Amino acid sequence: MRFVALTVAAAILIALPLVTTGYVVYLANLLLTFTVLCLGMHIVIGETGQFSLAHAAFYGIGIYAAGIAGTSFGTPFPVSILIGGLAAAAIGFVIGMVALRMRDIYLALATFAFGEAMQWVFLNWNAVTGGPNGLRIAPARLFGLELVTDKDAYPFVVATAVAMLVLTVIVARARLGRSFRAVRESEIAAQAMGVPVQRTKVVAFGISAFFAGIAGGMFTLFSTYIHPDSLGFQTTILVLTMVVVGGLGSIGGAVGGAIAFGLISELLRQAPSFQEIAYGAILILFMMYAPKGLFAFLADRFRGARHA
Amino acid sequence: MTVIKSTALAAGLAAALLGTGPAAAQQEPGLTPTTIKIGMFAPLSGANMAYGFDVANAAKMYYDKINKEGGIHGRKIEVVLEDDRCNANDLVAAVKKLVEQDQVFMLNGGSCSAAVVAAKEYVVRNKVPLVMLNASGDGALYPPTDYIFGAFSISQYAVGGAMIDFAAKTFGAKKVAYVNHDDAYGAWNLEGAKADAEASKVDLAVESVNPTINDVTAPFLKLRAANPDALLIVTYARPAALMIKKAAEMGFNKPIILSVTGTANLSQLMQNVGGPDALKNFYVQDVLADLPGGPKIKWVYDMYKQSYPDLAAKPDHPQAYMPYGIPSAMSIVKALQAAGPNPTREKVLEAMKTLNFDSGVMAGPVVFGPSERAANKATIFIKFDGTNQTLQPGVYSSRWKFKG
Repeated sequence: MRFVALTVAAAILIALPLVTTGYVVYLANLLLTFTVLCLGMHIVIGETGQFSLAHAAFYGIGIYAAGIAGTSFGTPFPVSILIGGLAAAAIGFVIGMVALRMRDIYLALATFAFGEAMQWVFLNWNAVTGGPNGLRIAPARLFGLELVTDKDAYPFVVATAVAMLVLTVIVARARLGRSFRAVRESEIAAQAMGVPVQRTKVVAFGISAFFAGIAGGMFTLFSTYIHPDSLGFQTTILVLTMVVVGGLGSIGGAVGGAIAFGLISELLRQAPSFQEIAYGAILILFMMYAPKGLFAFLADRFRGARHA
Repeated sequence: MTVIKSTALAAGLAAALLGTGPAAAQQEPGLTPTTIKIGMFAPLSGANMAYGFDVANAAKMYYDKINKEGGIHGRKIEVVLEDDRCNANDLVAAVKKLVEQDQVFMLNGGSCSAAVVAAKEYVVRNKVPLVMLNASGDGALYPPTDYIFGAFSISQYAVGGAMIDFAAKTFGAKKVAYVNHDDAYGAWNLEGAKADAEASKVDLAVESVNPTINDVTAPFLKLRAANPDALLIVTYARPAALMIKKAAEMGFNKPIILSVTGTANLSQLMQNVGGPDALKNFYVQDVLADLPGGPKIKWVYDMYKQSYPDLAAKPDHPQAYMPYGIPSAMSIVKALQAAGPNPTREKVLEAMKTLNFDSGVMAGPVVFGPSERAANKATIFIKFDGTNQTLQPGVYSSRWKFKG
């Protein structure tokens, strides 16, 4: 089943730019970027059980770092994306250090405060971020190749998203992933089993921020402008909603949630009069009938149908 | 052999003609012999709907009027409308859908400045004419490009400058307290205000606040300590109401002047500031040619009632910014007419650059030029005491000029 799903997904990804318009490819680029954001949030919340509400800030750090590297220093875009990821990861590690002293709602509030503070920085550090005028980002470049359209950027966005997905699976299956889950289930039990709880939490924050920074770098492949308004708490809540709707604690859920919820949101944009009601109703229905998320819901239905 | 050659030549010519004929016609998307497709986008849902919903309706009703009068050189205007949610990602998605999927001839949209700037690179690269609805959109207008026109309501640079101009000329203010936002709007209008303050020898005491501020005591006390001759508030509705209320509580009796961005509903403002006592020495800026609903612009409100009887019957409709949609639609119609019976995007863009007309809706004329992309720079001021609105004499503008 998994093989069939992966084959279908691969076929869709390959066919998409050949049979659709740039508008659809733009949506695909955006959804794949949000997929990587969701994978990052999945690592810190879903795998490690640490409530982080600063994802938009790390995403913004990635966008500005990658954008400035490419625009001002002319770095090839793979390097720019990596710079975005590493800049976000460095700050994520620092936040992880602070997070060692907090948990639950206190941790959520502290990370929320960090997110708000970063948005203020984006808005007021005029010399670097362009401040309230926003920042123009030069088209991504690599050895003379310039990505000026969504279709130009698409193969690289897909490749980066796939690489980050593979990395997530590797982390989840490694000793580190087991440590994340042990911390999530019980810090005391994890410590008794020899898991370095403090270090594991810091690493989770750092990796999660790295994913968000990479997503920010991906954004600079197909977008040439960023404004701090796009990096507020709503973006964090949007990513959190995608992860919860998809299924907290599952990689498939994070991916499925990003794509399903992103598509729903875009489809609802075509029905302005009803979208707020429909948006709310869909969320309520998900929470009522699929509390474990879309991915688990579909898996249960599939298993039920096979046993019937 | 000659016959074969001639036949081949004729066939070649025919193929060339057949081949290039339709290709030439297809070069201009959104055009048929009977229609011109225009892509509109505005916030049609969510918290920012008031900025664009009825503005888009106003533009649509103007296009309907033109269609009823026979269209433009025989072509009817066909509108495709998208919701941009006042959000950069959604706005770019809407623009890309209109251009690439719906294949519109040109764009008429944008009510939110920061969001509309996100589409700048795309429309310029694809050479699609974008005529904004009511966004000031200064970030997309400066430096000027060949493809983007806007500020039909007003440029934010002009908002700030005109506020100073009014305070200096009407009250002889030498020192003014200036409250703006710590965002793009705030940066733009403060730059305009500084230009006029310098020209009028007015000292500025500035406090930039967050649009979501809940308590304005600290910024107000700082401004009052500067002993200003007038308090100028260039913010959105919430900080504006908080500041006016605080000024009344603290016994501030100098003129308070509110920018056009500060309220969409004066009676609601009166309630939010705690009643008419807070508005004893209060003035509000507007960009229309007359008081809302006044005789000069009554025709717009009448047209709205005729076009949308169901909406007009609802409370608070038309929304305050509704008339702003007319000048942008008028500009497009005038540019299309000037472009002749075989319009191209380039011809329309050239015509846009030469527009200079009075819309009959706004305080100043729509004036573009070789390097001028902001349509309106003029404002009026209204004295409001909680019940009555009194138009103040004169039209006020800014001395700010783009120094590219």
